[in-house]
Amino acid sequence: MLVILAIVALYVGVYDFNGVSPFTVLIQFIQGDPNLQLSDKYVIWDVRASRIVMAILVGSMLAVSGTSLQGLFKNPLATGDLIGLTSGATLLAAISIVLGGYFKEYLPEMVQFSLTGIAAFIGALLAMMLVYRISTSGGKTNVVMMLLSGVAITAIGFSITGFLIYISKDEQLRDLTFWNMGSLAAATWTKNIVLAVVVIISYTVLLPKGKALNAMMLGEKDAQHLGINVEKLKKQIVIITALMVGTCVAFSGTIGFVGLIVPYILRLLFKSNYTFILPLSAVCGSILLLVADTFSRSIVQPSELPIGILTALMGGPIFIAILIKFKKSL
Amino acid sequence: MIKAHQINYLHKDFHILDGVDVSLNYGEFLAIVGPNGAGKSSLLSILANEVKYGKQNILFKDKSIYEWEVRELSVHKAKFSQHNSNEIPLQVKDVVMMGRYPYFDSQPRKEDFEAMNKLMYETDVYHLKERDYNTLSGGEKQRVHLSRVMAQLENEIEQKLVFLDEPLNNLDVKHQYKALEIIKKFTNNANSAIVVLHDLNLAAQFADKILLMKGGKVSAYGTPGEVFTSENISHAYNFPCTICPHPVNATPMIIFG
Repeated sequence: MLVILAIVALYVGVYDFNGVSPFTVLIQFIQGDPNLQLSDKYVIWDVRASRIVMAILVGSMLAVSGTSLQGLFKNPLATGDLIGLTSGATLLAAISIVLGGYFKEYLPEMVQFSLTGIAAFIGALLAMMLVYRISTSGGKTNVVMMLLSGVAITAIGFSITGFLIYISKDEQLRDLTFWNMGSLAAATWTKNIVLAVVVIISYTVLLPKGKALNAMMLGEKDAQHLGINVEKLKKQIVIITALMVGTCVAFSGTIGFVGLIVPYILRLLFKSNYTFILPLSAVCGSILLLVADTFSRSIVQPSELPIGILTALMGGPIFIAILIKFKKSL
Repeated sequence: MIKAHQINYLHKDFHILDGVDVSLNYGEFLAIVGPNGAGKSSLLSILANEVKYGKQNILFKDKSIYEWEVRELSVHKAKFSQHNSNEIPLQVKDVVMMGRYPYFDSQPRKEDFEAMNKLMYETDVYHLKERDYNTLSGGEKQRVHLSRVMAQLENEIEQKLVFLDEPLNNLDVKHQYKALEIIKKFTNNANSAIVVLHDLNLAAQFADKILLMKGGKVSAYGTPGEVFTSENISHAYNFPCTICPHPVNATPMIIFG
């Protein structure tokens, strides 16, 4: 299904390949056909294909991070954007964009190059640790505290980002606006390779954790009796989700609600059995973001709709649906 | 099987456990009894390596319990908790299957399904296996967890240990007996069980050894006949009682009041 959608997405776009189907152009490109025009080459490979791959990778990571956070907090409302991970990442990324110029030269070259990415990861990790500390005591998560600390972090992030926008120069301003809106338009193959590496690392650690997350529903002590190293599991989830959210924010800005929508739909089908919904959210997240991105760049052609608008439009009602369903237990 | 020496457990200067010794042989059924707040659950938690409180002197199978690996330990011992989670959005069979998690990696094997089905039959929850756990009654949930815990120890290893903290809560008479019979059958194969019970008469009928606790200390230890004297019990519970032989199986029968 994902493959079919990716091919469909390849066809959607403003550029006209002189009547040749984009798929044949792509095949021509892969085969290294010398007759291919330079502009055709550029559009099919560097614009469209790279963007599709990015949508697949980012969507997948956002959904998996949401699902694993929900397993950790034992609540379907825990997602990177609602508990402030995304804001934390955005905040530090914004700081590094605006103020990075001042201290960039003192850092080693490797760090300089990926400064925004590293900053976003640290931001997400700090936010995550803060939220976990505030909301969880003795293995029990207080959902209200979790969401409210997310609100607080988002508020802090919003005000500081606002201040940074106020003092930033023109070029930085454009970068910052991009963060806040969320977009996949800046996809390149270099970014995709980094994303792919993060995906591989994260998924080798996280995807086999379905059983462990199921056992966590019994409570931490009982999970331990089932032979699960709970402390290690928690640390792994905290670090890996921060890594995934941080990377997504660094490359595509804040695309909200993917981590909420995907697990919600999967839960309707498979209950909360993480051995199913964890791997499936990886696939469904890709599908969701790919579809949303294809829509966002085709509805108002030749211009583009920020993708965050579409995901929020789907995510908002689902958020409300979850709230109604859990009215009693919150 | 398990030997614990001088267990202390303090909470804010208050002695929850004060110098408790426990020793259990292979194949024994030990019942821990005592009034509320005597430290029964705390003792069980510490023995089961659940609370990490200082260095306690606990030997499990002649090896310090801290030297065991978590995963390895989970096939030798299991624990049934007093407060089981009320909300698990899964089907009953998925919850019971959790007991088999130490045995398979991604897909349950044939043995795992067999163990799951066997224990669901024994605890009388097989007919509920497709139901949502959240829709069950308190006693049914209790039985689901009992079958999960017992399924966890369904393996080839000899001399296993199960901890049960008030497993009979919310169960009707028939299922109380059934649950105790499952535990008794388990201990008949050289396995051991440590069970916190409130019903002294059931403890007298099923347990090999009784540990009577009061105020964080052991107030009596021995066979049911030794421990259940009217003196011991009325002292521990601060409530008068009479003891007479059970008309059917001659174990001590405790009548309060």
